[in-house]
Amino acid sequence: MPRPGSVIEVDRNTPPTLFHYGEGVRLERLPQGSRIVYAPDPIQPIAHPERAIRRALSHPMDDDPLRSLLRPGMRLTIAFDDLSLPLPPMAQPDVRQLVLEEVIELAAAAGVEDVHLVAANSLHRRMTEDEMRHIVGDRIFTTFHPDRLYNHDAEDPDGNVLIGRTPHGEDVTLSRRAAESDLLVYVNLTFVPMDGGHKSLSTGLGSYRSVRVHHTVDTLLNSRSYMHPPDSALHQACIRQGQLIEDAVRCFHVETSVNNHSFPAIANFMQKRETDWTATDQAAFLAVKQLTDLAPAEVKRAVFHSMRAPYGLTAVHAGQVDAVHDATLAAVRRQMMVDVEGQTDIVTLGIPYLGPYNVNAILNPILVVCMGLGYLFNLYRGRPVVRQGGVVIMAHPCRNEFDSVQHPSYIDFFDEVLADTRDPAEIEQRYEGRFAEDAWYRQLYRRSHAYHGVHPFYAWYWAAHAMQHVGDVIVVGGERETVHHLGFKCATTLPDAFEMAEQTVGRYPSVTHLRLPPLFVADVS
Amino acid sequence: MLALQFVRSVPAYALLRATGGNPRVALSDLSVLHLGDVDEPELPGPGWTRVRPSLSGICGSDTAAITGHASLYLDPLTSYPFVLVHEVVGELDDGTRVVVEPALGCRVREIVPECPRCAEGRPGLCENATEGPIGTGLQTGYCAGTGGGWGEILVAHRSQLHPVPDELPDEAAVLVEPLACCVHAALRGGASADDVVVVVGAGTIGLLTVAAVRRFTPPRLLIAVAKHPLQREQARRLGADLVVGPGEVFQRVRFATGARRLEGMDRPLLLGGADLTFECTGTARALNEAVRFTRGGGRLVAVGMPGEERVDWAPIWQRELTVMGAYAYGVESGGRRTFELALEAAPQLELERLTGPLFGLGEYRDAVAYALEAGRLGAVKVAFDLRELRA
Amino acid sequence: MRFELLRDIDVVRRGWRWGGVRPASWPEAVPGLPEPASNLDWARKEPARSLRWAIQRGLSAPFARAVTGLRVEGQEWLLDQKRPAILVSNHVSHADLPVLMAALPDRARERTVVGAAADYWYRRPWLGRLVSLWLNTFPFSRTGSAQGVLHSSSELLKSGWNLLIFPEGTRSLDGRLLPFQPGVGHLAGEARAPVVPIHVKGTHRVMPKGRRYFLPAPVEVRIGKPLSPEQGEASRAFARRAEQAVQELGRRSSRPEVVGTWIERWRAAAPPNGSRR
Repeated sequence: MPRPGSVIEVDRNTPPTLFHYGEGVRLERLPQGSRIVYAPDPIQPIAHPERAIRRALSHPMDDDPLRSLLRPGMRLTIAFDDLSLPLPPMAQPDVRQLVLEEVIELAAAAGVEDVHLVAANSLHRRMTEDEMRHIVGDRIFTTFHPDRLYNHDAEDPDGNVLIGRTPHGEDVTLSRRAAESDLLVYVNLTFVPMDGGHKSLSTGLGSYRSVRVHHTVDTLLNSRSYMHPPDSALHQACIRQGQLIEDAVRCFHVETSVNNHSFPAIANFMQKRETDWTATDQAAFLAVKQLTDLAPAEVKRAVFHSMRAPYGLTAVHAGQVDAVHDATLAAVRRQMMVDVEGQTDIVTLGIPYLGPYNVNAILNPILVVCMGLGYLFNLYRGRPVVRQGGVVIMAHPCRNEFDSVQHPSYIDFFDEVLADTRDPAEIEQRYEGRFAEDAWYRQLYRRSHAYHGVHPFYAWYWAAHAMQHVGDVIVVGGERETVHHLGFKCATTLPDAFEMAEQTVGRYPSVTHLRLPPLFVADVS
Repeated sequence: MLALQFVRSVPAYALLRATGGNPRVALSDLSVLHLGDVDEPELPGPGWTRVRPSLSGICGSDTAAITGHASLYLDPLTSYPFVLVHEVVGELDDGTRVVVEPALGCRVREIVPECPRCAEGRPGLCENATEGPIGTGLQTGYCAGTGGGWGEILVAHRSQLHPVPDELPDEAAVLVEPLACCVHAALRGGASADDVVVVVGAGTIGLLTVAAVRRFTPPRLLIAVAKHPLQREQARRLGADLVVGPGEVFQRVRFATGARRLEGMDRPLLLGGADLTFECTGTARALNEAVRFTRGGGRLVAVGMPGEERVDWAPIWQRELTVMGAYAYGVESGGRRTFELALEAAPQLELERLTGPLFGLGEYRDAVAYALEAGRLGAVKVAFDLRELRA
Repeated sequence: MRFELLRDIDVVRRGWRWGGVRPASWPEAVPGLPEPASNLDWARKEPARSLRWAIQRGLSAPFARAVTGLRVEGQEWLLDQKRPAILVSNHVSHADLPVLMAALPDRARERTVVGAAADYWYRRPWLGRLVSLWLNTFPFSRTGSAQGVLHSSSELLKSGWNLLIFPEGTRSLDGRLLPFQPGVGHLAGEARAPVVPIHVKGTHRVMPKGRRYFLPAPVEVRIGKPLSPEQGEASRAFARRAEQAVQELGRRSSRPEVVGTWIERWRAAAPPNGSRR
């Protein structure tokens, strides 16, 4: 029987708490009286996913069965979420593979010849062949790759068309192939409440022109938080754009959600609460800790990035996007919401090795900020867990290391832009245009596997709300020079960090530790 | 008089080359340097006068000569034995402080008519360098007849002497000669206000080139490539907009110029790049990199003295680069002598901050060893202090 | 690089009170995780996979080849696999499996899972674990629900594994082919995977049904062209077609075993079109 999420208080008997520390793990003792927030246990997944998918496709919400929408001679485009989720990547078969296979089976039965599958990666990097094969499965890959299964190219001047402008004056562009299709099916995986809905198409198949209207510092400051769409200006803009797309193209959305069983059996100790750790878990922790202390960086990285999560499908809905997304969000919330009473002075976080933007690459310092102060900070509904002016303490080695293939523009952002200013609004005004227009970044985005030139800016803006909200940010165990370059304080150990934090929040502060991953959303009253 | 002489000894030179220019061999008793009592140089003529050096700097060309890294090309242009060093601030017999302009052109040798190079104001390229009363030698400090800075006395023609203004201390004046070289290089490079200029190397020559470019030909963006923290600090002080480490040149130049970067099997290259590059280290590695990040049609000025370096000429050819050497000084366009321009620029640059430590002549081994590692040890210009010898 | 093992052990020991009492303030221990989807999944993950690779490559396959003087025909059908396939073979002896594993090309072998009868092999846990590790078997029930079997088999196929099964359902006593169970047809239809027929000849002399030890004897394995169910073909009919394909493979005459003087052997081994090279 899966337990809901809970908040426990640390007393003398509480075992030490697991902190993720980049590609490493640590046990830390939190001060007495601290709260630890645990995610709900993973929900039991659907026993026969293929049956559930087939049922959803033949009994969609607010729409006709998919079978009836398919006819020979039509142009069909199927778009799907790229590998920025779920995190860690799902063990095969991926839920998207299961859905895609059912959809394609229906298309084959209906005799649809013109089918293209497009990875809706927006301004993210192109996926490699292996990565695509991992998501869609061998059968689809060998049948459709490369001329009918490919990544979306947001910088292709002929491959993107302007659909129109919303009443708020926001441009909307879409992949030409999608815009000229008779039916556009979107296969989504809603991993956190931020994903899915209208955001899938407007961002996933959009271009810089349509993404920049809502990926602005201002919009993100008014998204409190973007894990809760009703309170998010970002989502309001995406909804407006999405509605324009729905009017222009016939769309059919298939949305799935998974439980939060995020780690394979060998890493159960990362999944389980510390009081549930068996002897095996303790031994596994000790083994992993030695590995991460002693092994060279490449070995650690290879081991961590080879982890595949045994997620289970918890819900699948198909049909009209608004109805479908409401149902999907309800399923996601059922898995992820945790009630948290009141805010605290200090929030502690262990930053894991993986975020949406560094699958198979290193979490560089910019992405550490994006993860800690962007994503993890914003996993709340209502109010942030840390109070205004409080302190966030993050644990991560924060080394000045960048992946030059995936993140070339991040390197220049760190060296040139952050050396000048760290204020998101100033950065937006003075530097964003130059990175967006740079011909070389564009070439690397289109031909290599690099994130778009402007992407580090969005990673930085993601943390804008946190930067404005908290009083101080302390990185435990980080590389001093790098952390200072980012504009934060550096502490060697967690007790030192608490000591430093007391300068900002006063003596005897209240502390909450967010024990994630596995991910959850804090419902703060 | 006490002097440190450079003698022509083929076996010593051969040993030096065999050990790859090992400093310990270069400064041992088997070396080409001899410290001892030698005859004072005679005055070659009425226009000449004696100078007593106060401070004599150690230049890269000097350490290259000592460690056997200098190109054999320069051998016929030298007369042995000679007393080293051409960066001299000293006193005349009547106590006037002067800086010596080392080039031994037609005017110094009092040869009329002047050779075409001296006539156009480039005494460093004098074609009569073997004639006249002093014998062969491009500069004071490479000529048997004149003596040099590493001795108690040297002789100089009056046209070589420039009075030092009172507000300029000796420690700054000793850098006037290298500053003049760099001013000449900067003017030869001729950066315009739209150019992106890269100065590679931040030893004495690199730093003074940064200062000269900033003052005489201020560009749109001046990037200095410096390895050591002290060098980076000074480069920034002397006018570099951006200071980068040697490993990140390609990345930062690419970003500054919006170029494209291609990875080669051995080195990267930029499609696009800097408009003008001053190469101030004289090493093959830096030269090979410089020809790849200077834009097609751009200019590369070799300021630092190179030896016989192995440089890949394919980038030079394909990118239609203009590669030019910048040596010595003379009269610049506009009729002003380079040394005068340097003396004018010197006071604001606080050059004395670059000089140090000072050594006595007897400590020449330590001095040269220090100079060979100057960057890592946090020094720029190591010099000999001969003022005590006078007292 | 910090070696903190002793300190870490101390932290864990004290934190979890080794040799002590579980504090009352701790909530009750609950596994908190959903049951895993398929049995013995550990055998399909690291480090079992690497261990098996080492055992097969280094020990099992060379040994099998040595004992049986293995001859394999038709490996090319499996060399360049584009998607997972169902491998069906006749079943004569316990020696079939190691021999088949040795006969498969390396890449195919590393991606192959074998269906083993649960009531026989998995009745004793240690035996079940042994064959899971060594031969990458997974249990399926001969007696229980066909639906469950189909589901786990199809999951494995979808995850990229080749599935090796013996559709006769049991070992043949004398080497003749028993009729195929129709399940293979269902499986091929449901998972839409091609079926590769394989025939093993000679293992009935190596370890016949009833004998518990093995003796060396020559073995030949033939791999045939993959089949797919045709449009509208019923699963029973397809199962029969697969059965016929396996039988056909067994019937085809191989190169005759030439006995006699070396001169006859020499002439018999001449290249077909008579050229010297």
